[in-house]
Amino acid sequence: MKRFGAVTAVDGLDLVIDPGEVRGLLGPNGAGKTTLLRMLFGLIRPDEGTVELLGHRLDHLGGDVLESVGGFVEEPSFYPYLSGRSNLKLLAKLDGRAGPGEIDDALKRVGLAARAEDRVSGYSTGMRQRLGLAAALLRRPRLLLLDEPTSGLDPAGARAVAKLVCELAAEGVAVLLSSHLIGELEKVCDSYTVLREGRVVWDGTAGELEAQAPGSAYALYTSDDARALELAAHAARVRVQRGARGGLALAARQEEMDELVAALGDARVLIRRLELVVSPLETMFFALTAPHDGQELQALEPQEFTDTILART
Amino acid sequence: MSTIAPAAPGAFSAAPSQQGVRSAYATELYKLMAQLTTRILVLVCALGPFAFAAVLKVQSGTPSDALFGFWVHSSGFAISLVILGFAGSWGFPIIAGVLAGDLFSSEDRHGTWKTILTRSCTREDVFAGKLLAVGTFVIGLTLMLAAASLIAGVILVGPHALVNLSGALTSPGRMLALTVVSWLICLLPVLAYTSLAILFSVGTRNGILGVLGPLLVALITQLLDLIGKGVIVHELLIGSAFDGWHGLFTSHRYFGQLIVGSVVSVLWIVACLTASWVIMRRRDFLTGVSGRGPSWTTPVKVVALSTVVVAALAFGCSLGPTGVTASRLSSAVAQDFNNVTLLQQQLIGRRVPPNARFYIRPQCTGHGTNSTSGPGDWTCNVYVFLPQTNSVPYQLQSVEYDVSVQYNGCYKAQSPPAFVGGATMQNAAGRSVANPLFIVYGCFNIF
Repeated sequence: MKRFGAVTAVDGLDLVIDPGEVRGLLGPNGAGKTTLLRMLFGLIRPDEGTVELLGHRLDHLGGDVLESVGGFVEEPSFYPYLSGRSNLKLLAKLDGRAGPGEIDDALKRVGLAARAEDRVSGYSTGMRQRLGLAAALLRRPRLLLLDEPTSGLDPAGARAVAKLVCELAAEGVAVLLSSHLIGELEKVCDSYTVLREGRVVWDGTAGELEAQAPGSAYALYTSDDARALELAAHAARVRVQRGARGGLALAARQEEMDELVAALGDARVLIRRLELVVSPLETMFFALTAPHDGQELQALEPQEFTDTILART
Repeated sequence: MSTIAPAAPGAFSAAPSQQGVRSAYATELYKLMAQLTTRILVLVCALGPFAFAAVLKVQSGTPSDALFGFWVHSSGFAISLVILGFAGSWGFPIIAGVLAGDLFSSEDRHGTWKTILTRSCTREDVFAGKLLAVGTFVIGLTLMLAAASLIAGVILVGPHALVNLSGALTSPGRMLALTVVSWLICLLPVLAYTSLAILFSVGTRNGILGVLGPLLVALITQLLDLIGKGVIVHELLIGSAFDGWHGLFTSHRYFGQLIVGSVVSVLWIVACLTASWVIMRRRDFLTGVSGRGPSWTTPVKVVALSTVVVAALAFGCSLGPTGVTASRLSSAVAQDFNNVTLLQQQLIGRRVPPNARFYIRPQCTGHGTNSTSGPGDWTCNVYVFLPQTNSVPYQLQSVEYDVSVQYNGCYKAQSPPAFVGGATMQNAAGRSVANPLFIVYGCFNIF
């Protein structure tokens, strides 16, 4: 357990991640995500109890237990007066391993080879983020703990990071990925753990989450919105209204949407665009972490449903 | 309990650690050498003594307020010893502050604690590695400064004999040995200042306080040296440990200050490093580079605490016995005057029998309220009874010296040229040489 004043940041957490699994760690601000990662890295001490990592009790002073663990907490930080390569050399020296070949490989893998000799003081936030990933790779981790790894990255950079995470998972690395960007998590995660007030409130696979999510929000653009509105209004458990920017706003679960799409086809209403505006993960996240009862979502009109969830996620 | 574990037990077995203090030491050396401030410091220590000696060489003035300062044109060893004196007051605190004062706080400033502590090294490894690295640099720079000052002095002035702190001429070989030993003696207090800088750095997480801390302590030490007569508090300050070498340069050597200074230095090192480790060990590393750093109140608290400590020290400086007494000063001045007078006679070509002595009765009186004890300004009337061949056995001559005495028992005595002649005189060969009676340096045991 870790407390900061009267606030309990982390309390009795157990996480099991399979090799090759990418697990998303979610929670609102103050849920304890970063505190948990810092505790797992031995940067802060629990006030009560112990931290066990990979089956070994973690002394808060770090050391051997971290041998198979890589990653970073918050934005990665480096010595600004050294080049990217020198920073990696220094960290490799601290690890007591990794030759120049591995440093080159890591730099290439994160797309920093061309700027490796530049001082870190001249790096953008995204470049530091990528250097952080390179530093994590040098440890040949079996468990990768990443805190907001796409923060500060442009869309191409974020895609590259997502690809790298998937590659590492394919190599058998277990990844725990903490992020506020639910959309980014959905691209790579096989499972999720949702924290609230320092405790796990939901833990399961992406499929389980989708099945349990209280619906999603969609934007639908058709060849005949009036007819589509009529059909949707008669569909079971589908809430619909006209969208603020044209088309229709809908709130429904996946299977109900499947039925509506089939009905639209039968009625020869052509679907021109169907967008997932609020994903099952987002609604689930909202339902699990909202200060009030998440059941209220079922009663909201689609636009309000969307606005409420997006305002929080 | 917070746990993260693999689904299949044993799938991620933690490999035994291969790294440790050696890895941390190597990385810290690398980081220190990569910093501009370190490189500047290396250059200053390597070239500074040459610049100092060269400037002295081209001008007639001397830094006569410093021990041996009057002799910088006469012996290269005086150059090294003057630099050692300056270094003890200011140079070593600066070296310690620049190298060690930002050693830990820079990790806070750059947000890199989390970067290095999430590698395979433990906090102990990182702490020990930092200590060893900065210790290596501090010792290396001190030795570099020592070597540079000796080489500069020998090359630009010459390895000539030097008048010691009892007024006796000491051979170049002996002076070289004593000078080298003096620099080595200072390593312990230098490491004490380094430990203090580390404590500032760890405790405040503020690089400015870490760098300036030792310098401020040195300044406070200098100010405290000007007040109070008691030896107890003075001798507990790190700066006093730099006085230990003075006793090696007197005809009757004394080691009291050297021993006390060494013990005090070790105590400072142990206390500062223990406190630093306790802080480091208990610390939660919560904030990143963009996070909320240590509170702005930290410097305020440090200043407030320092003020209280300085006030207590200022009060404490009057406690205990004083090492500077009229009898000790008179005795030292008598021997000093006897030796420099004989030296002057030798310089002008007169034969001086071995172990020759004048009959000298000095009478030293302090200025102000401290007429019989305490550091400050004194006047010493030196009465010399010169042997006569006629019916009157002695002829009485007197010389008045203004003596500036420090709490550590070292003094500088100067007499108006009307009594002892000018700063320079002609030797038997007709060359202009320093007049040993013009300024007389000496030290006596204050214990």
